[in-house]
Amino acid sequence: MSRFRTLMPLLPGLLCLAGCTTHHAPSFALMGAYFPSWMLCGSVGILIAIGARFLFIALGLDALLSLRLFTYVSLGVSAALLVWLIWFGA
Amino acid sequence: MKKVSMSANKPIGFLIAAVCIGTATILGVYVARQESAYPSTDSGEIDAELVHVASTVGGRLIDLPVQVNQAVKKGDLLYRLDPHPYELAVHQAEANLALASAEVENQQRLVAVKTANAEIAQNQTHRAQTNRDLAARTVTRLAPLASKSYIPWQEYDQARVLLNNASVSLAESQKQASAAQIAIGDLKSSVAAQQAAQAALEQARYALQQTVVVAPTDGYVTSLHVKAGEILAPTQVLFTLIANTAWFANANIREIALHAIQPGACATVYSMLNKDKPLRGHVESIGWGVLSADSAGIGRSLPLVPRQMDWVHVAQRFPVRIKLDPAPPELLRMGATATVEINHGAACR
Repeated sequence: MSRFRTLMPLLPGLLCLAGCTTHHAPSFALMGAYFPSWMLCGSVGILIAIGARFLFIALGLDALLSLRLFTYVSLGVSAALLVWLIWFGA
Repeated sequence: MKKVSMSANKPIGFLIAAVCIGTATILGVYVARQESAYPSTDSGEIDAELVHVASTVGGRLIDLPVQVNQAVKKGDLLYRLDPHPYELAVHQAEANLALASAEVENQQRLVAVKTANAEIAQNQTHRAQTNRDLAARTVTRLAPLASKSYIPWQEYDQARVLLNNASVSLAESQKQASAAQIAIGDLKSSVAAQQAAQAALEQARYALQQTVVVAPTDGYVTSLHVKAGEILAPTQVLFTLIANTAWFANANIREIALHAIQPGACATVYSMLNKDKPLRGHVESIGWGVLSADSAGIGRSLPLVPRQMDWVHVAQRFPVRIKLDPAPPELLRMGATATVEINHGAACR
């Protein structure tokens, strides 16, 4: 339950990305070069993992956790994969 | 900052860690399967077919109504070469044909004359035959008279000489008749010469037609750098025409993902000219071969095998050719970067 609540603030961001689902190429341009979309998803995952770390510390949830490295890494990976699925999912 | 114990040993912490890791693993497997079932690449290219525009004849370029980057329709005039030398060649060929035709008529007259001569010779043979028959009958009649001395022997001798003469004349006239028959000949050689002249005329007319070059297909003029006045050699390419009848996307897909691609499969193509407009296409074919760095080498030489010890082998990619449905022209430029998703994407829903 608490985990769901903590993920709530992330949902608007994910929903915003869901808006991009249909009509966009899975590749973004930066300074005249095209970067693959998985790079963007990976960055989002990293940011979410870092954000979750700060959020959990602020909420005191962090104290409940053990195996923090694995927990945050898998949170970040899940977020990145979710972004990928929402953006390019079948 | 609060000190965080890394060696905390709480069951709820392990549970949360297990849930997170499990979620990430399941999502990872799911995404990997999706990626394998729906191959995509962001290194595709928009492709089209080309015509290297050239004429089979050479000459001076006198008229060039098209400009670079201009769109042309099939049958539009692209350029004209100076037709004058080819018109002269046509005139020459026409004169040669007239000469050959006159020669045929001449030959016809000759044949008519020789045919008449052969008939005369045939009639001469008849006459010689009649004379010889008469001489033979005379000898036959005179023979009993001469043996009984009713007529002088001299007269019988003369008759026999006449018979001999008539026989010689008959043989000669027969030979003459057959020679005259052979001498008639025919029109074959002159008719063949006439046909050769006719073919040469058609060839000259064809060459004259080739001085006008029209667009073989709808397309765009590219790589045009010259103006009228240029001298072109036969088959020299003046510019390249990008065919506007069919557009393709060329996507290099890893061999490991090719199993999911069938000809006819739907594809979503994004041209980077406008990333927001998905283009619909269908897989037309998959390339049957690429040149590999390991198999490259000089043909008759020994195989080129580099010394190496590599454990990671990068997957080979094969070009997948996707035929695009009709699309707005501003999205289609040959060589533009394209993102290709097969069996997937906005255009395939």
